[in-house]
Amino acid sequence: MENRENEDIQIIRSSSAFDCGGRCPLRLHVKDGKIIRIEGDDYEEKDEQLRTCLRCRALRQYIYHPERLKYPLKRDGPKGSGNFKRISWDEALTEIALKLKEVKKKYGNSSIFLVLGGGYQGALHDGMFAMMRLLTQFGGFSTHYGNVSSEGAVYATQTQYTSPFVGHSRNDLLNSKLIIMWGWDPARMISGSDTIFNLIKAKEKGIKIICIDPRYTDSAVVLADQWIPIIPGTDTAMMVAMAYVMIKENLYDKEFLDKYTVGFDKFKEYVIGIEDNIPKTPEWAEKITSVPAETIINLTREYVKTKPAALMDCQGPARSAVGELYNRCAMTLTAMTGNVGRNGGSAAGGLMGIPYGHMFFGSRIPPPYRNPVETGLKSVRGSLDLQLRFQARCHTNKTFDAILKGKEGGYPFDVKFAWFVNNNFLNQLGNTNKSAEALKKLEYMVIADLWLTPTARYADIILPVTSIAEKNDLTRPWPSGPYFTCVNQAIESIGECKSDLRIAEELADKLGLKEFDKYLDEKKTLRFLIKLREDTRKNIRNIDKFRQDGIYRLKLEEPYVAFKEQINDIENKPFETPSGKIEIFSQRIADLRDPENPPIPKYMERWEGRYDPLNKKYPLQLLSPHPKNRIHSEMYLVEWLKEVEPHVAWINPVDAEPRGITNGDELLVFNDRGKLTIKAWLTERIIPGVISIFEGAWYNPDENGIDRGGCVNVLTKDAYSPGGASALNSCLVQVKKFEGGV
Amino acid sequence: MYKIQVGFYFDQTRCIGCSACVIACKDWHDIPAGSENWMRIRYNERGKFPNVFVSYLINPCFHCEDPVCIPVCPVGAIIKREEDGIVIVNSDLCLGNEECDSKCLKACPYNTPQFGSKKGAKMRKCDYCLDRHLEGKLPVCIETCRTRALDAGNMEELKSKYGQIKETDNFIYSERTKPSIIFKPKKK
Repeated sequence: MENRENEDIQIIRSSSAFDCGGRCPLRLHVKDGKIIRIEGDDYEEKDEQLRTCLRCRALRQYIYHPERLKYPLKRDGPKGSGNFKRISWDEALTEIALKLKEVKKKYGNSSIFLVLGGGYQGALHDGMFAMMRLLTQFGGFSTHYGNVSSEGAVYATQTQYTSPFVGHSRNDLLNSKLIIMWGWDPARMISGSDTIFNLIKAKEKGIKIICIDPRYTDSAVVLADQWIPIIPGTDTAMMVAMAYVMIKENLYDKEFLDKYTVGFDKFKEYVIGIEDNIPKTPEWAEKITSVPAETIINLTREYVKTKPAALMDCQGPARSAVGELYNRCAMTLTAMTGNVGRNGGSAAGGLMGIPYGHMFFGSRIPPPYRNPVETGLKSVRGSLDLQLRFQARCHTNKTFDAILKGKEGGYPFDVKFAWFVNNNFLNQLGNTNKSAEALKKLEYMVIADLWLTPTARYADIILPVTSIAEKNDLTRPWPSGPYFTCVNQAIESIGECKSDLRIAEELADKLGLKEFDKYLDEKKTLRFLIKLREDTRKNIRNIDKFRQDGIYRLKLEEPYVAFKEQINDIENKPFETPSGKIEIFSQRIADLRDPENPPIPKYMERWEGRYDPLNKKYPLQLLSPHPKNRIHSEMYLVEWLKEVEPHVAWINPVDAEPRGITNGDELLVFNDRGKLTIKAWLTERIIPGVISIFEGAWYNPDENGIDRGGCVNVLTKDAYSPGGASALNSCLVQVKKFEGGV
Repeated sequence: MYKIQVGFYFDQTRCIGCSACVIACKDWHDIPAGSENWMRIRYNERGKFPNVFVSYLINPCFHCEDPVCIPVCPVGAIIKREEDGIVIVNSDLCLGNEECDSKCLKACPYNTPQFGSKKGAKMRKCDYCLDRHLEGKLPVCIETCRTRALDAGNMEELKSKYGQIKETDNFIYSERTKPSIIFKPKKK
């Protein structure tokens, strides 16, 4: 694990493990038991180095931040007051165990609610796995369903392909002739450590890149040959109009559609207007999207005629009321142009994952049996009926509504005890003010975290957790390997911090759960976990070397291309959908008979978009994209990161000037759900009628209930699309200069 | 005059303004949060929606051929190394930002000298990662850059590799000081 650079400094090779699309090798310089510097990947092939971003460059200030929690805390004031007193681990775990037993006896196991996030993603110490295992053996627990980030894309890809592995190796972008980046900003949202560099290489190779986005993103700054600004929530209208142009001009790949898809005829009927008497012409789309009809026509012709072309949709535009329809429309265009399954093309679908080193295949210590609270339910396998997911769970973006209303509100449980792990959901889910009310009413709450987050302020007990520098683990990239990395311990635990796994193990003792297996020998357990999964078992022959290097890079003979197998041999290798083909029309969705969830992809307006009547009261659309200087709300307190980009709202001068707003003014941004203050940043880089506030700044309400921290979710809605996308980007607000009053 | 002159190459068409280099620099040189930044990113935005032009620019010390900071320093705290042309400051000699009225900062066309925010703070600045340079390594910012927009080394070698372009968007070449940097410029 260590290379000696000189007598005093050890270099520990490790990796990030945050809820981040990058998994970057890190070299931690350790002197006298303290990390003194951080360097990144030093792989000999410099072009293939997985260079870490500013966030892990600032890791030292994160690990040693004076505000990191060091001891267990017990609430010592009203919920939310932030007043806590130090207690011992023994006191904390004894109290928690007593409370768990009491709640179980009085209300049953379904009243124990496990709230799970992605803040730490190691195979061994991830609190999600540890707590699920523990509470399963304690008789069961309730939890929530749906990934806050990507559920729209998950539902869409399940619908049309029944596979989440819709990506290509990143270097396959270089085989493209045209790249359309639609709502994707990998310069900031690190979807793969090497993604932005591969895109730059593609551009420099002469591949044309078009960015479609309400914002002129930092990705567009370096990549875009053309920026097409679009009104948020209307992407599907433009995509449908592109299909119209292809149909009218007879430009689509009929052979591909016949051979590999089902239901195109029904989609065609919708597009040309047989279904609803509205032909989805470019002129029709121009009125909705603000994109000129001529631009739509030219883009369509260029897209169709340039082969192969990669239409790269992502997850942000799907994080809306439109949700999965955005990804479904994109996937339909890639089928109509025959770009699925070929090098340099794209299957779209927004998830971008490849099945090499993917986090979905990560090891974990399996629970010995199924969560008793979720046994005996109807099977969800293969179904697109979201209601089946809610037999025992609530939607993730309804976590706090479920806590607030319980069975009376139609949820399958009444929460009496909640355990939060790897998340700051008060801050990161929709409708923060309402969520805070829910937490005030919650009977008992435990949180395990590194920080006194806005969520943790409402806890009864806070348990301090170790950082990635304080444990050994395995981790994997989110979407794209191909590689595996290790987290290697560099320093002793700060204060009395423990990993989530150790917390679960010690709590098991307090609960008297003798059958709860412990994994105290890290080295042995990591070997076990490496051998548990086929891909790591097959590839990593020398485990000691893997751990010492901190990374194992898989060498693919050629770039991975999603669905190449199916496209090359559909007879013998069908898609996993019921029809065996790409389902542009989904019978599984048709069977649900939900008018909000159409069996073919469509443009639908739904709510809190540009054309919602609420727009009269709240005329600006609010976007909440990923910040570059935090991982969601993680690392928010790190000063080095704070100072490189002040927390500001992007607003076009066209919207600012009539409101008397100038650059740097303090703004009040508000709607019926909340109010926040934030400084204005006037920029031409955002389409008029839209403001943008990066998510993850910490909620800090003042005595008047105005959030002075600029937490965007005081404004967003706790709602989801029919496919389960957390609809955080469908949000209407008004803005005015903040004068100190309301 | 100097045996060699080291300097930088910056491909402005690749810079996403992410500031990883800024933080890597602070980490390597152990500079606390605050106004002292040996590497800075300058931002430029022009045009009207939807015809927008944006550029980012690095701003370390350019280790000028004729550094104007040196003659203005009343105590001779700044020197240019003969062996590689790196401009370094002896902060122990520096009188501090108040006593000499930050003469070096006022003289520098690129606002490079850094004093931090405290009263009497001594000048410090980018030293081309002299410690790394002496070990044969490149400055930490170079190895940090995710888009490989940066390179550094002997200026003669950089020029033969990347060309002679001395100016780019948001950067004017000072004939007086002769900054040691060449560019792949971003144009519109």
